Amino acid sequence: MKSKHSTFISTLVLSSCLFSAVAVSAEDMVRVEDMVLVPKGSFTPFFLKKDDITNSSSVATTAVDAFWLDATPVTNRKFQAFVNKHPDWHKSNIKKIFTDSHYLQHWQNQEGTVNAADLDKPVVNVSWFAAAAYCEAQDKRLPSTDEWEYTLTDNDRDTENLQKQIMAWYSVPNKELPTVRSKPANGFGIFDMAGLIWEWTADFNSYMAPPDSRNSGDKNLFCGSGSLNASNLSDYAAFMRYSYRESLKGNFTGKNLGFRCAKDAK
Amino acid sequence: MKKNLKRKLLLLLTVSSLAVSFPAFAENHDHHHQHETMLSTPDISNASTDSIFNITDNWTAANGKTFQLNKLGGKPTVVAMIYTSCQYVCPLTIQNIKRIERSLSAAQAGKVNFAVFSFDPKRDTPAKLTEFAKLHSITSPSWVLAQGSEGAVRKLAVTLGIKYKKVQSGDYEHDATISILDSNGVIKFQADAMNKNVDGATDALKALLH
Repeated sequence: MKSKHSTFISTLVLSSCLFSAVAVSAEDMVRVEDMVLVPKGSFTPFFLKKDDITNSSSVATTAVDAFWLDATPVTNRKFQAFVNKHPDWHKSNIKKIFTDSHYLQHWQNQEGTVNAADLDKPVVNVSWFAAAAYCEAQDKRLPSTDEWEYTLTDNDRDTENLQKQIMAWYSVPNKELPTVRSKPANGFGIFDMAGLIWEWTADFNSYMAPPDSRNSGDKNLFCGSGSLNASNLSDYAAFMRYSYRESLKGNFTGKNLGFRCAKDAK
Repeated sequence: MKKNLKRKLLLLLTVSSLAVSFPAFAENHDHHHQHETMLSTPDISNASTDSIFNITDNWTAANGKTFQLNKLGGKPTVVAMIYTSCQYVCPLTIQNIKRIERSLSAAQAGKVNFAVFSFDPKRDTPAKLTEFAKLHSITSPSWVLAQGSEGAVRKLAVTLGIKYKKVQSGDYEHDATISILDSNGVIKFQADAMNKNVDGATDALKALLH
């Protein structure tokens, strides 16, 4: 009788082990599906737009190859899993050259891990180096600025609405971060491009240079005559994004600054 | 038994001296002496957490040899990023680095690395870098010209605070910055590479050579 009882218990334990094993692999499957293939296309970065209609033939577009993109920004849950696997990136171990002093400052408990309530919120307070290391560890990379902006434009599916949504968010930033996927995906099937967080791109430290302005090395794009170059001022939101990126350094962190990863389509 | 122990000790000594001599290569002598007291637990990773040597990407020098940034350790280093098809900014950058080199005595110059990294992984092959070195009469073994992957270039540029973008023609828009690293790979000084007055960089280097 006694032994039967213990068999029963061990069966229970075993089955719960099995159950959790199944749960983990299910999560892995979701993870694979968490990327979306964004088809190739083109878009017009705001600094190439011209207000002057007679000049419209000269509007240059930027071509983007097809690529995989995470459907949502990386969550605290996923970043915690990364830190567990790569303790070099724990907040108490991270090398000074890779971050400022606010790395993961919202992970406030003693172990320096994430609070349960924040698991499905996007991870923030991460430097470019940490974001790049996370993506590399998943055999991915950060998206280029062009890829990110192209995804945001959503093939101009609902530009007016998108602009309104973005401006509403820029003018009233989130008091508290919502979880990812709180709002519907865009036409590509990508969530949270607008209204959740700012995101790192691989080449955030790029010049917003038109292709024909070689040798200019223009550091004053947003000053004086430079700002007239970025001429479609109706696209003020894009102007803000590009200048925000320009202001960043690789070791910066921000409480509204996170990231998602991309991958070549091949 | 005794022989065995001896062999073990010898092995231990060899291993630990190897482990210690490597980080010593990347450190100045003061550090070396401090570390000598801790022979058994050399701590390579914590040498300097604000050092650019924490970046571990591979680079290929003009001579075809692969290296990582920590190979520049042990001496102060003058660092710049260029690409060889660049018509104006990059040759001027090289000229100004040479100005820095000339402002040092021969003995001092021998204790400094001059490292030039390419923005352009596609076109700047080791052969192209060799040709570029010849064109600019770079013969000193203190110089290294190198190319790396797109990712390695981006990471180094971000670390040095250098903005750049590849434009459609295949050329690069880029900051021209000269950085001075100390012998541990910590950035000590940065200046506009277009400025013919290199006194600031020279002073920074001389301070590090003391």
